[in-house]
Amino acid sequence: MVLLALGAMAFAIFQPIQVLPRLRLAPGYAMVDQAGASLTSEDGRGVITLYTFVPLECGDECVRVDDTMRSVQRRVAADVDLGDADFRLVTVVLDPDADQADVAAAASGAEWPWITGSADQIENVVGLGFRRSPDPAEFTPSYAIVDGWGMIRGEYRYQTLADDADKLVRHIDVLGGELRNSGGIASFAYGAAHVFQCYP
Amino acid sequence: MTAPTVPPIDNVDTPEPESGAPVGRSKRGRHARTLLLIIGAPILVVVLAFGAFRMFSPHIYSGTVMQAPTAAPSMDGLEWTDGTPVDLAAFDGDVVVLYFGYTYCPDVCPTTLAQVRQSLRRLGDDAERVHVMMVSVDPERDDLARLGDYMSSFGPEFVGATGPIEAIERVASTYGVFFARGEEYDDGGYAMDHTASLMGIDTDGHLRILWPSTLDPDTLAADLDALL
Repeated sequence: MVLLALGAMAFAIFQPIQVLPRLRLAPGYAMVDQAGASLTSEDGRGVITLYTFVPLECGDECVRVDDTMRSVQRRVAADVDLGDADFRLVTVVLDPDADQADVAAAASGAEWPWITGSADQIENVVGLGFRRSPDPAEFTPSYAIVDGWGMIRGEYRYQTLADDADKLVRHIDVLGGELRNSGGIASFAYGAAHVFQCYP
Repeated sequence: MTAPTVPPIDNVDTPEPESGAPVGRSKRGRHARTLLLIIGAPILVVVLAFGAFRMFSPHIYSGTVMQAPTAAPSMDGLEWTDGTPVDLAAFDGDVVVLYFGYTYCPDVCPTTLAQVRQSLRRLGDDAERVHVMMVSVDPERDDLARLGDYMSSFGPEFVGATGPIEAIERVASTYGVFFARGEEYDDGGYAMDHTASLMGIDTDGHLRILWPSTLDPDTLAADLDALL
């Protein structure tokens, strides 16, 4: 028992395993992508999703966000082991009721869904759910990682000195480690990492 | 005549030792205390550690627990089946199991609610402090009377809420729930596609835990017991 207590203390101090916090539930939605197909939050069950939120027009900032998304997509596919989970990208267009042709044009070259909806849907998903301004005029690059349970596991609202793609790939890799070890004895260690808040 | 001398009471059992006697006795006492310390201290530590472990060890939830539990999102705009506005504060001190479904649901909703009912039975008297709430995702067909009858058929702890579609969409989204009109039936009816997870709101009104609808009653009961 003493050893157990000492082990727990050592675990909390040295954090041999890191996890991303389970922040809160990601919003539920049923929206439409650039091809006119329906995309729902349920489609993300069992899938790790990287979200970003952009207006249709934002110049260089949008290019930078797209580059980051592409970079993450390429590097996750090449370097990250997510176990049985899939990975997907989703861009939420902040302009309500955007014309599908405009969305398709903005998304040209992107190999992932760009979804849009009514003003109420965007307010519910972006404002209430992801807790950032849904107003296109207040756009700043931001991202969110959502796990296969529909939990927000990482939120990135402000650019830091670290490269956005580096940080996102590193955190998706941490999430992958948890998924790969979600069964058996290892799952207890990862459970302990959550209890002791071993966050990167 | 003089009275016989009576020794002071505190000297009765502790007569002055003869020369040389106290050293050996004191040594034996010290040895005994040392021995007691060597054997007793680890036992005491183990007993205390075990007690602390039993007292403070967290229940390992089967549901997915949120690390930073925040107040359960508002349900403004929804109403109970008696027509009064939904205010989750009314459940402070109790646990709420939240579900989004509809009364015409052919399989998942009744199965899930029946499993929750079995979980409550396992809680015994504590079940009185658990409320099972279903928000209808089909306000077009689930009027107050129908929803009330449906929920009460599962038991007194089961309550229903509904409201305008805009309010339901907002509340559902903030609880991570998707719903949309699904398959159309030949008889004019239709199915509603919806997220089937259960959510747990703790005694402090925090949205704490997410359960799959397939969780077995024993496991759910254990989590509910820990939340209480």
